[in-house]
Amino acid sequence: MSRSGPVKGLLVAVVASVAAVAGAQFHQHRHQRLPIVAGPAVARVASLSEYGEGLARTMADTKVFFLQGAEPGGSALIMAGTHANEIDALLSALIFVENAVVEKGTLIVIPQLNHSASVYTRPGDGCPLFYGIETPWGTKVFRFGDRGASPLDQWPDPDVYVHYPDAQLLSFLDARNTNRSWPGRPDGLLTERVTAAVMRLLAEERVDIALDLHGAETMFPVTNCIVAPERSMRIATMASMTVTAMEGFENHVEPSPKGFRGLSHREIGDHSDTAPFLLEAPFPFLDQPTGPKTRDLLMTGRDPFLLSLAGQQKLFVPYDESGWPIEKRVGQHCSVALEIINQFSRKRADRAIRISEVPRYADLVRNGVGFYFHDPSKADPARVHLD
Amino acid sequence: MANPLYAHIAAVLSVMAAAYAAARWRKLGVELCMLAAAVAGGLAGAVVQTPPIGELARHLVEGTFTYLDVMLVFVTATIFITIVTESGGVDFIVRAIVRAFHRQHLVALLLLMILILIPGALTGAGSVSVLTVGAPSALAMGHLGLSKRRTAAILFIVAGLSAAAPPVNIWAMVICAGTAIPYVGFTYALGIPVLLLGTFTILTLGWRRDHRVSRDEALRAMPQPPPGMNWWRVLLPFGAFFGTVAASRLWPFATPVMGLPLQFTLAAIVALLCSPRRINALALSRDTVRRLVPLLATMAIVGSLQQIMTVTGVRGAISYAVIAMPLALLYVLLVVLLPISEGLLTYGAAAIIGIPLVWYLDSIGLHATIVIAGLSLLWPLGDGLPPTALIGRLTVMVSGYEGSYWSFLKETWLPWLAITAAGIGMIVYSAKLSALVAWGL
Amino acid sequence: MPLVMIVYYVICLFIAGMLVWNFAREKDDRQMMLLYLVVLVPLVLRLLRIN
Ligand SMILES: [Zn+2]
Repeated sequence: MSRSGPVKGLLVAVVASVAAVAGAQFHQHRHQRLPIVAGPAVARVASLSEYGEGLARTMADTKVFFLQGAEPGGSALIMAGTHANEIDALLSALIFVENAVVEKGTLIVIPQLNHSASVYTRPGDGCPLFYGIETPWGTKVFRFGDRGASPLDQWPDPDVYVHYPDAQLLSFLDARNTNRSWPGRPDGLLTERVTAAVMRLLAEERVDIALDLHGAETMFPVTNCIVAPERSMRIATMASMTVTAMEGFENHVEPSPKGFRGLSHREIGDHSDTAPFLLEAPFPFLDQPTGPKTRDLLMTGRDPFLLSLAGQQKLFVPYDESGWPIEKRVGQHCSVALEIINQFSRKRADRAIRISEVPRYADLVRNGVGFYFHDPSKADPARVHLD
Repeated sequence: MANPLYAHIAAVLSVMAAAYAAARWRKLGVELCMLAAAVAGGLAGAVVQTPPIGELARHLVEGTFTYLDVMLVFVTATIFITIVTESGGVDFIVRAIVRAFHRQHLVALLLLMILILIPGALTGAGSVSVLTVGAPSALAMGHLGLSKRRTAAILFIVAGLSAAAPPVNIWAMVICAGTAIPYVGFTYALGIPVLLLGTFTILTLGWRRDHRVSRDEALRAMPQPPPGMNWWRVLLPFGAFFGTVAASRLWPFATPVMGLPLQFTLAAIVALLCSPRRINALALSRDTVRRLVPLLATMAIVGSLQQIMTVTGVRGAISYAVIAMPLALLYVLLVVLLPISEGLLTYGAAAIIGIPLVWYLDSIGLHATIVIAGLSLLWPLGDGLPPTALIGRLTVMVSGYEGSYWSFLKETWLPWLAITAAGIGMIVYSAKLSALVAWGL
Repeated sequence: MPLVMIVYYVICLFIAGMLVWNFAREKDDRQMMLLYLVVLVPLVLRLLRIN
């Protein structure tokens, strides 16, 4: 044994124990599953891999909830978790799954579209691994995720990501982003296989409208809005005007840019018969100039730096001392989604989808988000699905 | 203004600075000083639960993943180029360039400039330029009569420009990804300034010869390539690398995504097979990794530092300070702020400062694409600044310059000023330069 | 797992091996010892498929 032995041993012990503590937390985050209590309308729970064999036995496979109406009608898809760090989308989708009663037509919900992204957090960004939502029966714990799939599931990144099929050059960061991989291909990158499977689902289930739920920085010009291509424009405009007039929150419509490939609101419209809509609600947690990325910021959206920037007219959404609390953000998503479905059903009576028991903006502001989640330990075990 | 958050962030920042200074005083290397700052900052933040103490280890460790892929590129690329050097390939190339262009040294330098621009332009990493063609280019410049210091200066500036050059500019891509601005229209907006500034650099730094060596004298002084060395053996390994890069561009949907580390690994294996000398690949890899460890540790620790700065709110406060600044002051400060942020955070700077800045400048009527192009000319300069000094340190390593680091950096002042002026000019007058985008793709 | 991804784990393993080898050979420089270990952390956790 050389003289340096004890020093080396000590250094190894210190570094290894720090790595072990961290490793245990990463492992728990990657393998903890989210219990979802299937609501009254859920008739079938499928795996996305049923629409794309390339996803079977991968972390990218994810649950698809079919909410069936008594009467036949049209069909709508709600996608959340495209970006697994934009938590309001997942929470809104779960409110639909756990509460919705469908009278007519079919509602399909994919709560964690990029499932691999939901088991990873971005290095350097200092995000929490978990967050809790208070409910009447205790705290429901969720995994915080990332904008892109985990490198444990898709590695390496290309030096430049070339979008299929348009060959547009995009940042290597976007290779793991499922909102740049539409319409995808069944034998491509994992993210491309996810979107290709959804494209097949849209065709096989004859989906009329597809809603993709997101959250956006308050410094991002495209927020508090519905992004829609030409095909979806009329319904989006009607829905936006209705919620603005009736429910007292801001919303507007943004046209989907033609030159920007790979996004759901662009490619679903161009490559299928489905009319796509992308919903953005403000999500201050994502903004660069904020204080620490705490669970409190995640819930309340309150931040003194953003407040100061609001005073200098540098934000794109109204912002005051109350921040942008989670009830409002989730409430906006629920109301806008319901209103788009409603406007579509008025326009296409033969393909109508009628949904009740889903809270709207005012209900969520009054009762909070956790009020609408059911206790998995009290539910019929057959109705509890781990995602 | 009485929010306690401000006091917390200020306290964390001072603790980090104090830990860095204390580590420096104890004569620790730059890497360990940064590690000390990260750990101390995290502990200080934990006092007010940002981060909760139980998550501190996870934040420190998670940060080391930020640049993991970049670290793999460095190792594989350096092993590749070391094999080419050991096989005598570098000596072979340099002899060829000196033999052909000894008389017209500016022509030779401009050819070398193009040679250095290509790898960085294709990969977005100036370090790749330095690591692949840097060593032979530096040797050739020496034999063309340039001092080691000016050789290193040219190599550093041109490698920086190569990172900014189209088609791949990672700063621009990071900003585009974060702002949802399409990564299109940069071909001329970046290509024209890069070529002009590169030529300017060659003319200012390369015009005068420091010493005159006759062609035969130079050739005699240079090491002999091993017997059996020929163009095939030299070019095949580079062909393997650029071939895979080209294939991924020409047939993107038929070629599997390989990533730079694998492309360099393949090239290294080809180089090993092509070498006329027998090379002990294991010993060579071991020594290369040892040489690179300070740099690799820098990347790992900068990632941790970045994560700790975010989780304590320091990063947000910096980002806020940039955006809240009056416009005229901002333009002036960008001159120093952008290179310093690059030196501290490398590509992380584009996310922390670049994304909010571009949103803000876009909202006041500037042309976002030109603004991004202008910003991304300034960032590579910071790759010569500590604590990371990524390209600067690699440049010194491959060019064999033995003087002080700062004396090498001082040599770059004229192109540095020109690049700064060009970058800031593009930002301020971006609205008038929008034609550059209209011509583009 | 796709072939390219497997190759990346092999590359990681190779680099980690070189770091361990150097660490074992290092006799005096304590700072270098610590740097080897710091660089090993992400490589080993990736190899174990932890993160
Ligand atoms: Zn999103």
